[in-house]
This record gives sequence, structure tokens and C-alpha cells, in this order.
Amino acid sequence: MPAPLLSVVSLVTQFSTRSGIVKAVDGVSWDVEAGETVALVGESGCGKSASALSVMRLIAEPAGRIVSGQVLFKGRDLLALSAEQMRRVRGREIGMIFQEPMTSLNPVLSVGRQLTEGLEIHLGMTPGAARARALELLGMVGIPDAERRLKQYPHQFSGGMRQRMMIAMALSCDPALILADEPTTALDVTSQAQILELMKSLSQKLGVAMLIITHNLGVVARYADRVNVMYAGKIIERASARELYANPRHPYTEGLLRSVPRLDEPRRARLAPIEGQPPDLTRLPRGCSFAPRCRWREDRCEREAPALAALRGEWHMSACWQAERLGEAVTQ
Amino acid sequence: MGAYLVKRFLLMFPTLLGVALVTFLLIRVIPGDVVELRYSGDRGAVSQEVIDQERARIGLDQPVWKQLGTWLIGMAKLDFGTSMWTGAPIWDEIRLRFALSLQVAIMATIVAVLLALPLGVLAALKQDTWIDYAVRIFSIAGLAVPSFWLGIMFILVLLIVFKWLPPMVYTPFWVDPWANMQQLIWPALAVGYRYSAVATRMTRSAMLEVLREDYIRTARAKGLWQSLLLRRHALKNAMLPVMTVVGVEFAFLIGGLVVTEQVFNLNGLGLLFVQAVSHRDYTLIQALVMLVAGIFIVMNFLLDVAFAWLDPRVRYA
Repeated sequence: MPAPLLSVVSLVTQFSTRSGIVKAVDGVSWDVEAGETVALVGESGCGKSASALSVMRLIAEPAGRIVSGQVLFKGRDLLALSAEQMRRVRGREIGMIFQEPMTSLNPVLSVGRQLTEGLEIHLGMTPGAARARALELLGMVGIPDAERRLKQYPHQFSGGMRQRMMIAMALSCDPALILADEPTTALDVTSQAQILELMKSLSQKLGVAMLIITHNLGVVARYADRVNVMYAGKIIERASARELYANPRHPYTEGLLRSVPRLDEPRRARLAPIEGQPPDLTRLPRGCSFAPRCRWREDRCEREAPALAALRGEWHMSACWQAERLGEAVTQ
Repeated sequence: MGAYLVKRFLLMFPTLLGVALVTFLLIRVIPGDVVELRYSGDRGAVSQEVIDQERARIGLDQPVWKQLGTWLIGMAKLDFGTSMWTGAPIWDEIRLRFALSLQVAIMATIVAVLLALPLGVLAALKQDTWIDYAVRIFSIAGLAVPSFWLGIMFILVLLIVFKWLPPMVYTPFWVDPWANMQQLIWPALAVGYRYSAVATRMTRSAMLEVLREDYIRTARAKGLWQSLLLRRHALKNAMLPVMTVVGVEFAFLIGGLVVTEQVFNLNGLGLLFVQAVSHRDYTLIQALVMLVAGIFIVMNFLLDVAFAWLDPRVRYA
């Protein structure tokens, strides 16, 4: 089997804060194969954005720091590259889409300028060629009236249109991988669906691999091939999207699924939230981080942290002592 | 954008009129007038008749509203009248001094901007390192040290170390630029240092704020060169507050350098201001206030034009 396009190995990223050191990413490994879409799911503050920013080496220093691990992209460890080598990777080989389309575009530069600068820098295009390519890109992401739009400024675009711009920017230099950090969280529901469909179709058409970071399991089900569920800086379950839905093997994943409203259930059924609060990342418990909130907790869970382990006979991993028991309960 | 600028331009005139009214009325609240002051040395030896005659000659016997009317009409024709103290046309009193003050203000601004931009950007990029601390100490010192004291130090160092004194007589730039610069560079440096301190601190804090913005992260994620990222994405946004500080400070320098002018023996507008007030030279005070206020107002207008040019959100609002 060839090496994956991107392989994150035992990544540890920390932030120093007033209340202590936060292990935002705590020894996480995952990978993305060429052309596939992988999701990183979890609630706010679980370290999913920090993982993506670590891949791009955009963690805000000096507060944040990548402590250890490897980020192997096309066989090269990005963490070992010089600043200049890393600059050539950003935007050229890995594109990134951010959560807030309202603030992620520069308000004083025209949209055309922001779209063409990457082309000029990475591909050495002339302004004329870059403009032609920009028009083509706007067409690809479904922004009509491209000629006029290029001259406009971000405040003249709606949220959905800005996110289309972000997608066009991320795709502009034909990267092999796109990191999308909650690309639709800030949008209204109609735009969300449109943006996700657009990303899905473009990634298939262009053969771009995608990492989608989200807290929305509905997004995952529809658009991702494989899913990594993160909790408190660790990956606690990994499976194909289909498998994860049908057969969750971690109490946290199961809880997440039960807290999503479903159209195919009677309306009287109440949603089941996960009780308790996300843990304080400066003071993680000795055992399993999820134990304090877990319905399946046993003594062992509070003493020893379970590692991410393959379940018997399946391509499905879970970091839970109760994974087998849970599996039986769910399938019954 | 055009309509906005026209509106903004027209708004300057009511503002100027307001300044004119307030100035005109307020200086008449100060006890004593120019005639009393001129004859006060004679301790009553001058008869009331002479005083009345003199008042009538200058026009101070007229009702206030009439004096105001005459003055406003004159100003509309760009005629400031004559000085009540010297009798000379006000424009002649102001002209050379204005040229001098304007030149010092421009030179001080150049000094300040040349210092402030690189230092402020550098400090922001190297936040909390020794470079940042050095810049901050340098700029705090600039705020703490009075310009006139720094001016005295310049003169002392030039005299004691270099055995040289800058020329003490003003030569207009267009007569002899070299002699002119030899004299004016020192006050420009002394004033420019304090000025740069204000601008450096503003540049630093504006840059720090902008560098934390999401769009800077986007620009970095695009793989831009650091220099391009700073120039195109960060500085253009950070310049907006810095320009405001520089513009307002510039307008202040035109009339506000009373003590520094004394140190360098410069006959500028600051000194003229003080003299005009102590002589109760109403027409000269009015003209000077209008000049400085006019510069403030025009400066603000130019700042708004620059904002509209730099920030499309203003342009299309």
C-alpha cells in the first residue's frame, strides 16, 4: 500500500495560558489518502482546529507550540522544513479554508487581488494570466458575473459568497490537499448545504483530498469517507462514516449521535445531550478523559487511559475499555 | 465616493464659521483692549478723549455685531485686515512666520514618520523581545522629554562637542536651502522625536491588532512572502489609525511650538500667537486662530479622503 498523502504522527501541540499548559493536541495520529475526504469531528476546544493549524504550521506563536510529532506530507516532514520551504507548501500544495468568512478576507483589498496573489507568487503567473485563471476559478465555485465581482471588496459579498471566494483561493494553485476548518459553521443552513455540495463536487472533479473539521455529524455522514472523532486533544474513535453511524464504539460518539435531531424519529422523542462539561485541558484526569461524563464508566476507566486500538476483525478503532460491550449493546 | 467627498468638503465651511464666531466672541471676554494696553504705560496721563479717538480709529467703538460683520466679510474675500497693534497688514505679519512654522512642521513629520513606521512595525513583529522593549523605551522617552529641553541639549552638544552653532538668523528655503536646513533641521529633530514617539506607539499597537486578524492568518496560509504580507495585508490596515495621529499632530505643530521656537530663536507662529494675545491684538489673534483652525479642518478633510482611498468600506458607505 502506498504511503498516504498526509500522515500526522503522534502530534503534540500545546498552548501556554494563564491557567497552565493546555495540551490542545495530545499525541494524535491520523492520515489522509490522496483524493479522499476525511473528517475530524468533536466539540469546541477539543483540538481539531489546532491539529489542522499544526499541519500548516500556523499555530500562533509564542503561546502555541508544536512540541513533538511528525507531519508527513508526500513523504516529507513538514515540521522539519525551513520557513521558506514551508511557505512554498502553504497555498501551493495545501490550501486552507477557515471558519469565519466574514473576517478571513482582507477588507481593504479587492477580491481579485486576494485571489490572484497566490497565483502570481506560487505559479509565477503574469497579472493577465492570473486574472484569467481567477475568472475561471470564480466560475468553478459558482460566483456569477465574475468580471465585475473581481473588482469588488469583501464587504460587498454575502457570507456564502465569501466562503466560495475562500474555496476559490484555496483551490487556485491546484493543491493536493485542502484543510477546511469548520467551513460552514458561520453560514446559514441553505448556504451550508450549497457550500458543502460545492466542496464535495470540486474535490471529486479535481481529485483533491480534503480534511473537513466540523462539530456537525450531519456533515460528516454525507461528505466524509472516513471519520476521526476527537475528544480532549485525543482521537477516541476512527471508522468509515457509514460504520461510525451504524456501529459507534465509543460512548462519546454514541452520545454525539444521540444528541443530533433526526427527521425519521417521532417528534416527541427528546434529544439526549451529553451530560457534564468538556474537561479542563490544563487538568486532565489520570484515566480516560471522558470518564467523568460517561454512562459506561467503570473503576478501570478512572485509573488507566485507554489507547486507540483496533476492534476485533474490523477496520474500526476506539479508545474505550468498554468498546466491545458497547458494540453488543448498540447492535441489540 | 464622489458625493461623500463633496459633502465632506462642504461641511468644512460651517465648521470654520463656528470657529470664527467662538473666537471672535471669546477674545472680547478677556479684560482690556489693545488701546488700553498701549496707553497703560502712561498711567492716566492720556485723556479719555485720546483713548476714545484711538478706539474710533481702529473701529473698536462700533457695536460688536458690526465688527463681526466687517471681519467676516473681509475674511470671505481672504482679507484679514490690519493688525491693531502694529497697523501692518496681517498677511504681511503672518507670511514669513507661517512659511517657517509650516516648514518645521513638515520636516518634523518626515522625521517622525521615518522613525515611527519601521520602529513600530519592528516592535510589533518582535513583541516582548528585547527589540520591542528597546523601541518602547525609546518612544516612552520621547513622550517624557520635552522638545525644548531636547533642543537645548542639541545646541549644547553641537557647541561643546562640535564647536559649531546652527545659524541663528532665518533664511527662507528658496533663498538658500543649505543655510535654511542648517538652522531648521535641529528643531525638526527635537520636535520630530516626540512626535515619532506618539506615532511609533500607535503603529506598534495598530500592527499588533492587525497581525491577530483572521485575514492575516489567511494570507499566511496562502504562502505569501513575509514582506508582501506585511506591506499589502497588514500595513494597509494598520495605517488608518496612524494617519489620524500624524495628521492631527501635524496641524498642532503649525501653531503650537511656542517654547521650542524660543530655544532655536525662530520667529514662528507660536511666538506671534503669544504676542498677539498679550497685546489684545484682536484682528491678529482672530487671523491666527482661523489659520490654525483652517489647517486642522483641511487636515481632517484630507484624512477622510485618504481613509476613503485606503478603505473601501468607507468609500462605498
